[in-house]
Amino acid sequence: MFFFSDTEISGTTIRNILRRLPDGGVQSFPDVETNDGPERQAYLAWVAEGNTAEEWDPNG
Amino acid sequence: MPLSSVVGAQSIVRPGVCTSSTRPASPYDGQVIYMTDVDQTAVWDGSSWVVLAPIASGRNVVINGAMQVAQRGTSTAGITTFGYYTADRWYMNYTAMGTWTQSIESDAPTGSGFRKSLKVLCTTADASPAAGDFVGVEQRFEGQNLQQFLKGTPSAKQFALSFWVKSNVTGTYITEIPDQDNTRAVSASYTISASDTWEKKTVIFPADTTGAFDNDNGFSFLVRFTLGAGSTYTSGTLQTTWASTVSANRYVGQTNLASATNNYWQITGVQLEAGAVATPFEFEDYGTTLAKCQRYYWRAEGTESLSMHAFGYARSSTVAFFAVPNPVPMRTVASAVQFSNLQVGLRGVEGFTATSGSLVSTWRSTLVSNFEASVASGLTLYRPYHLINDTNAAGYLAFSAEL
Repeated sequence: MFFFSDTEISGTTIRNILRRLPDGGVQSFPDVETNDGPERQAYLAWVAEGNTAEEWDPNG
Repeated sequence: MPLSSVVGAQSIVRPGVCTSSTRPASPYDGQVIYMTDVDQTAVWDGSSWVVLAPIASGRNVVINGAMQVAQRGTSTAGITTFGYYTADRWYMNYTAMGTWTQSIESDAPTGSGFRKSLKVLCTTADASPAAGDFVGVEQRFEGQNLQQFLKGTPSAKQFALSFWVKSNVTGTYITEIPDQDNTRAVSASYTISASDTWEKKTVIFPADTTGAFDNDNGFSFLVRFTLGAGSTYTSGTLQTTWASTVSANRYVGQTNLASATNNYWQITGVQLEAGAVATPFEFEDYGTTLAKCQRYYWRAEGTESLSMHAFGYARSSTVAFFAVPNPVPMRTVASAVQFSNLQVGLRGVEGFTATSGSLVSTWRSTLVSNFEASVASGLTLYRPYHLINDTNAAGYLAFSAEL
């Protein structure tokens, strides 16, 4: 399950993708084309299965 | 010729090898001598003494082949997607094939020098995998670290892979070394002969005179240990010579480790080197291996509550920015951040729980990763703040530049 959170940096909005880790931590990465890390690849595979990220609730 | 007439006054240290400060007057072909005057070993080739070079260090291109480093933790259960879980640099590749627990075990071949191994345990079976299902363990490589294989040249070298393996499921397993730059691959099988028993395996993959590895920091190559695969990958003929990748030929004959729960596969002592001979495993000190791993992923764990991670400042009442020096230059700028139990605060004065965080994808480098922590409220604009563990000593901050 992935979530999104938009952050504004110097007037530009960047979408970050987050998910809970098995140890209770959080993983976050920018959802930008130049990010070809395995974390975003896993997210894109998840989206390709028909899933959609929901907005991040920090208390969720 | 009697040995005494060859050796003369030299002392024999074991049959066929002698030590000497002078050279034998009448050496025979293949005679090996340790020359005490120059501290070198040489062999007589029929006309002259040829110095035997010591086995060079830096042969093993595999990082953390002894499974000593596990920054992410030593056990992860419920694995149903691909990713990095326990041993650094070891990636679990996965498509819809069972559920797994990955762990680092203090179990290794007796007398080998290894003390840890990577274990993959099936917790939900997939006895009849769908066509596209797959599960395996692999390590991914930058092309610039593989140039010694001379791939894509007339002088291309073989790939010598060696490892220790153990499983409760005997049978045929497939290992593969795909070339990502040129979409080529070659596979080989190995056999686990005895259940629950460590076995040493050596696989010599052929050289490939076609398709050079890119000489950069990108994802060029991998070593894959297949544990199960559907018919998409098993319906052809195993491709044991280098050729363009054909899905059906990749894992033909592979045993299905996912056939039943509690099936497991364990590995350690993984070495890949250029040439036709697998040499003894190249042990290295923990710090060296850790630094190699940190090029791809590093994690700072607090040792106590309020352990310090970074200095920064508030850029609003709810967001603080931190520039975090990486312990070694990373492969690329970080592509992801992981964190847990962090707090933005002035230690001993005030503290605000980090409810979220993000990697800042500007103003960064391979030496510095930028992190923004969000809190509910209360930060003072432009006031300097610490990024620290909250009262839980298990807090951590980690950055990834993995392949």
